Amino acid sequence: MREHRTNHGGGLAAARRQLTRLREPHAPLDAPVWLRAATFCLVAGVAALVPLYAQPYVNFDLSMVMIYAIVGMGLNLLTGFNGQISLGHSAFFATGAYVAAVMIQDGWHYLAVLPVAVVVTFVLGYLFGLPALRLQGLQLALVTLALAIVTPAAIKRLDDFTKGQEGINLYTAQPPEWTGLERDQWVYLLCLVGVLVAWLLTTRIASGRVGRSLVAVRDNETVARTLGVRSSRTKTTVFALSAAYTGVGGVLYVYVVQFVGPDSFGLVMAIAFISLIVVGGLGTISGAVFGAFFITYVPEWTADVNQAAAGMVYGLSLIVFMFVMPFGIAGLARAALRPVVDRVPGRRSLLSDRSAPTVGGAAAPVEGPEELVRS
Amino acid sequence: MELFLQQLLDGIATGALYGSLALSVVLVYRASGIVNFAQGEMAMFAAFLTWQAHTWGVPLVLAIGLSMLVAVVFGAGVERVLIRPFGTTAAAHLSLIIVTLGLMLVLTSAAGWTWGYLTKQVPPVFGEGVVDVGASAMSRQALGIIAAVAVMSVILYWLFQKTRLGLDMRAAASNPESARLSGIPVGRMLMLGWGLAGAIGALVGALAAPQLFLQPNMMASMLLYAFAAATLGGFDSPVGALIGGLLVGVLENMAGTYIDIIGNDFKQAVALIIIMAVLLFKPEGLFGSRTVARV
Repeated sequence: MREHRTNHGGGLAAARRQLTRLREPHAPLDAPVWLRAATFCLVAGVAALVPLYAQPYVNFDLSMVMIYAIVGMGLNLLTGFNGQISLGHSAFFATGAYVAAVMIQDGWHYLAVLPVAVVVTFVLGYLFGLPALRLQGLQLALVTLALAIVTPAAIKRLDDFTKGQEGINLYTAQPPEWTGLERDQWVYLLCLVGVLVAWLLTTRIASGRVGRSLVAVRDNETVARTLGVRSSRTKTTVFALSAAYTGVGGVLYVYVVQFVGPDSFGLVMAIAFISLIVVGGLGTISGAVFGAFFITYVPEWTADVNQAAAGMVYGLSLIVFMFVMPFGIAGLARAALRPVVDRVPGRRSLLSDRSAPTVGGAAAPVEGPEELVRS
Repeated sequence: MELFLQQLLDGIATGALYGSLALSVVLVYRASGIVNFAQGEMAMFAAFLTWQAHTWGVPLVLAIGLSMLVAVVFGAGVERVLIRPFGTTAAAHLSLIIVTLGLMLVLTSAAGWTWGYLTKQVPPVFGEGVVDVGASAMSRQALGIIAAVAVMSVILYWLFQKTRLGLDMRAAASNPESARLSGIPVGRMLMLGWGLAGAIGALVGALAAPQLFLQPNMMASMLLYAFAAATLGGFDSPVGALIGGLLVGVLENMAGTYIDIIGNDFKQAVALIIIMAVLLFKPEGLFGSRTVARV
């Protein structure tokens, strides 16, 4: 099982080396400031022009991608950067969606419910994050999984507000007259604003002091505390923050889908969120976007194969990515682009950190003591 | 009073199943130090195999035995192929949680793909009809479940406490390094632990299928109750898992009967509340051993 560092090896050895490279962590790309700004403006500009030329169904799909990207960024702050696993973020998504749906029904303006939903999910996340302080990874996973399983039943139980099983149908997020846009285009642009704000906010958080304290708490809480990081406050706040991101996603979901029902927010959604950050890349920001495309389009591509196919692909991708590419698509992109980006001249941002993400032990080739005895 | 007794008996019958599934979760936890989120789905899949064999004309008891065998092989295979490569460091836990979640989804989808999402009728193992117990009545199936779980517990107790194999397994779980030095094939023991857990799960699946109606998502809430039971009993205590299961079963039934807000369709909340409460106030559970962190 040992790697022989020779260059003449056959295709197999080369392939194995490639595979091991995929399993290595990659530091964020250290692009110069001008390149970052230019890329951001270019992507934002192109994304803003897309809905004017695309079919309505394409716009709706892309709106969903952006919603999931927002959720993914929040969840990645929690899981990727801070190492707390949550399988229950579907509950916060449901909360955001139901808060929005119920209030819009009561005659609120659809944009006015957004801050309310943010506050509600932030507070809920904070309350849920308090016990999270005392729980290690595994216990937190248990509690949040329980939360995800209970969510649909809880929604049905609160049927005075939620209309229970039948769900709430809405007619909302109509574009203002002066824009002359169709509804799908308008909703798409709302989601785009949401995702751009989330992106800027997340890069700020991740590359600044807060981000470093998140990673410090993840990698060694004791050391982080001795260095003056308030670990308990950091952990609850990031839990609340990621819940708020997810709540925003829930509100935008209501704009796009115009319907909420208890069975949309079950365990499958919770695991889809996990697939999102795993496939995209744990502890990366761009990964949330890759992963969002993945979980939006997999069900569409597999729909005509079998209704179980989407779940199968999510499940397999979780396993395969953990084995082969623990750092997801973003890790792959970093490895591919690094030689190019490192050559680009220009001033580097002071905030950019060169530390690589490290997520739990990636699958290493098994080397048991038995083999040592034999060799 | 009669209602109370009836609820108590029903709670014990469902609790026996929760406890058994919790027991398989605990076995895996003791062997590999992780929680297998796919445990419920493995049980569901085994229940489908039982049903399939039965519809092909295999006698029910034999069908259960066959699917238990398959579950042993499958459980051992999962440990060897999916779990062991990650090692047992604390850092690997996140990865392993994600892998078992993936397995959970794969099994649900595979069952749905193969057998569809319509519920299947499974005949009760112990026949139809009721037996009078004092003033209340119990279905034969419920009594049979309690008996089967009791027999299984005795067999497991005998295995772990009275046989050399059980001793080796306990040694491998409690201190792999020393066990390896004493010549115990630790890897094989871990596989066996996973296999046993799979077999118990298969039994639970077959016993629960008549009540829950067989379909791919039937074990999700069952797994929730099993987690509650394991948490309550203490994650590293097999006895605790069984007792915790009985307690959770009874509590859930009582809450559903006597607390209006819970009612019949919000019983799952009981499990969530139990898990939260135990983890916050007594994280090691009733019978678990306290872990002391040393820096």
